[in-house]
Amino acid sequence: MKEGGRIRTRNPPSTAGVAVNGEGDPGSPRRISPPDTGPVQVIRDLHLHLLAPGLAFGRNARRLRENAVRALWFCTAIFAVLAIFFILFFLVKEGYPAFEQVGVWDFLSGERWNPTGAKPGYGVFPLIVGTLLVTLGAMTIAVPLGIGSAVFIAELAPAKVKAVVKPAVELLAGIPSVVYGFFGLIVLTDRLRIVFDVPSGESWLAGSILLGIMALPTIVSVSEDALSAVPQGYREGSLALGATHWQTIARVVAPAALSGIAAAIVLGMGRAIGETMAVIMVCGNAAIIPDPLWNVLSPVRTLTGTLGIEMGEVAVGSAHYHALFGVAVVLLAITLLVNLAARTILRQIREKHTVTTGRAPSVFRDTADAARPYVCAVVGVAGAIVLLMATNILVTAFAVASVALFLAVRDRISPKTGQKVAFGLVYASITTVMLVLGVLLFDIIAHGIPALSWEFLIEPPSNLGRAGGIGPAIVGTLYLVTGAVLFALPIGVGAAIYINEYAQEGRVTEIVRSGADLLNGTPSIVFGLFGFAFLVLFLNLGVSLLAGQITLGLMILPTIIRTTEEALKGIPDALREGSLALGATHWQTIARVVLPPAVPGILTGTILSIGRAAGETAPILFTAVVFSKRFLPASLTEPVMALPYHLFILATSVPGARENQYGTALVLLILVMGVYMAAIFIRNRYQRAMTW
Amino acid sequence: MQNNGTILETEDLNLHYGENHALIDISIRIPRYRVTALIGPSGCGKSTLLRCFNRLNDLVKGVKIGGKILFDGKDISDPDTDVVELRKRIGMVFQKPNPFPFSIYDNVAYGLRIHGVRDRKELDRIVETSMKRAALWDEVKDRLHDPAMGLSGGQLQRLCIARTLAVEPDIVLMDEPCSALDPIATSKIEDLIDELKQNYTVIIVTHNMQQAARVSDYTGFMYLGRLIEFGETSQIFESPREELTNKYVTGRFG
Repeated sequence: MKEGGRIRTRNPPSTAGVAVNGEGDPGSPRRISPPDTGPVQVIRDLHLHLLAPGLAFGRNARRLRENAVRALWFCTAIFAVLAIFFILFFLVKEGYPAFEQVGVWDFLSGERWNPTGAKPGYGVFPLIVGTLLVTLGAMTIAVPLGIGSAVFIAELAPAKVKAVVKPAVELLAGIPSVVYGFFGLIVLTDRLRIVFDVPSGESWLAGSILLGIMALPTIVSVSEDALSAVPQGYREGSLALGATHWQTIARVVAPAALSGIAAAIVLGMGRAIGETMAVIMVCGNAAIIPDPLWNVLSPVRTLTGTLGIEMGEVAVGSAHYHALFGVAVVLLAITLLVNLAARTILRQIREKHTVTTGRAPSVFRDTADAARPYVCAVVGVAGAIVLLMATNILVTAFAVASVALFLAVRDRISPKTGQKVAFGLVYASITTVMLVLGVLLFDIIAHGIPALSWEFLIEPPSNLGRAGGIGPAIVGTLYLVTGAVLFALPIGVGAAIYINEYAQEGRVTEIVRSGADLLNGTPSIVFGLFGFAFLVLFLNLGVSLLAGQITLGLMILPTIIRTTEEALKGIPDALREGSLALGATHWQTIARVVLPPAVPGILTGTILSIGRAAGETAPILFTAVVFSKRFLPASLTEPVMALPYHLFILATSVPGARENQYGTALVLLILVMGVYMAAIFIRNRYQRAMTW
Repeated sequence: MQNNGTILETEDLNLHYGENHALIDISIRIPRYRVTALIGPSGCGKSTLLRCFNRLNDLVKGVKIGGKILFDGKDISDPDTDVVELRKRIGMVFQKPNPFPFSIYDNVAYGLRIHGVRDRKELDRIVETSMKRAALWDEVKDRLHDPAMGLSGGQLQRLCIARTLAVEPDIVLMDEPCSALDPIATSKIEDLIDELKQNYTVIIVTHNMQQAARVSDYTGFMYLGRLIEFGETSQIFESPREELTNKYVTGRFG
């Protein structure tokens, strides 16, 4: 005790030995003597600080508060987890009877889907084939264009061009799917009908083109991130050896970014598989397997489309009802596979970029190298056979010949010529993408502007939407989105804080993340299905604003959790340690040091969710909306009008409403685009401000 | 050298990171108002030991600690210890400057604010004093409200020191505070450390033996998780008792 006491030079006597515990007794922490008053000598007994009985109170109060805050975030996390797993459980539970009655194999492989016929058929095989074909077609279009565009943005574009092109591609991601569907229905299918001289353009091809366009932004953005993340040293190293720019891209940069590009493709695929509204509008929706299989002009029907079309008129508890949930489970399983693939690929990237432990033994690598030509040969022959089965001999011969020609001349082309050809293709793909965006925007803006007027924006519709305005739909959409965000934001942010800042990393956090990722990739129609069966029917909320808000809220919850988590992860641990080392409590550290710089990230995620919620049709299709309603809802239990749904009905069921269709599409577009631009603006602004 | 008593001591301190036995039977007595340097090759446990003193190892998953760490005679490895209070009294300066993304002023005021100082004048005064002590005041006094990120590396590290001093700790832990700095910035920080021991106990981990010799009064040499030798700096560098220490300080390994 005595030896602890010591002459100190820095504490004015008034505060010596006073409680050190700053919170709870404002104004009297230990002070530093002002430099000009000169040193004041005080005797201070260090033991007093630790043992002073007066400290106990402040300390307990602080602990209480810390624990209360922790408990609050814990509750939000638990709620989020329960919600996520309840949705999954509910879908499986409702779908199970279908598998039981029909039999798993018959359900999956049955070739007849006709649940409402005199002799009902519950075979989802044509639907699975439809989904796969449309996705395959979409990827055939989107992968080359997307990677080409990504290479352009990451490697070739001058800074000024990049500043325009990159946000433009991101805008493409923000266009609501019902607007794509509308464009597809009015412009694309019509074009196809004329070009191919067929009775209807609604087909596999139309769906593929449209979904290809919709998957493009995902593929471009994620690939571009992967390419840009390749260290500059790799490029310089290659260029310094005399490689051309293209050789550097093709042999150094692209291989280094390969897993990111693969993840981009898988994510784009997820987008295409999960799309509902656009597919319903352009695919023709006949539950048949195209005959012959390569007949791209045949109508097809996808799993999502089936849910969107049939859910509204199904009798609860009937075999048909359970079969639709069975379809949702199949859809979920496909999503799960796609998700797992993406996660595995992304994990590989992470492992590659961190410390390399347990590398593949060199013997294995040697074997792999030796086996490569054989593998290529086998894959090539198999590809040719598949092509031969799927198309005809002419196409196959052409493909084989062009591959052979490419292989033959590959080594003879000078690097410079090769670069010219390759860059030509890259420029062609970015031009195509920009052209598509331009045509789409121009078509909607040019036709939509004449419809816009003050009356159009505030009046209710009349004559089935052919005349009058869309006022209640705008307000209804705002209501829906506001409710969804109020519901999802606190829970999502709280859950993310708990997972990232409090929970021990381990199996539990991993499960939560997997659950959130799975729901994140789940097609929005599945949320609609859940909302309809559980909220509208089981909880008896009815088709109502509240049911729609909760459904949309559940849909954006995983996005908010994950983006918040990403934002929190971006804050270096050094800052947390710095704050804790100063004696800040856990919550003080989170609230004052971790959260403020994470706000832009959280905000961006939230705004993107708002845009998504505003543009989505599938989740509210059966939960919240009516086509026409003269008055605004007076309470949460009444249904509302919403812009996307209004456009969907106008476009598919009301002939002769062309002007109001375009007007509605334009208003929806402006609304969602505005939200997205705000997100992009915030991100760019804070990205520049934040450098660690 | 005059004995000031012991402010911090460990008894048979052992620390495991999972399977890895990172600290083995460490017993050390840190004298008050002196600069104590911990030296040793990379991975010998110097930083780990330092982080035991303010319980920052708590943040690492899978850490097990055995033995005693006595701060003014009280065992701080006790789970019931108020770590917040402990960290207020044992401040830390990190290897890489880790300023918060606030203004220069707010960085230093942060610690005061979280401990309940609201009075503007009081804050101004302590911020100024702390920055003067950290020999930073003259360089930044005209731009206190600029973002801290705009400062140079050496200034940032002195800002982090000022931030630590503002909460008036008894001990300042420094984890290789100069390893990210150029020679001029390093010498400024070294001068500062010399000043600091008037009022504080400083424990510094360093890779740089000349630095240890220049700034410290006592030196501990660690190797593979053990404290090999501890004594007055002059003794450690001039007449080490252990052969290992001798080899290390004469640059024959490490």
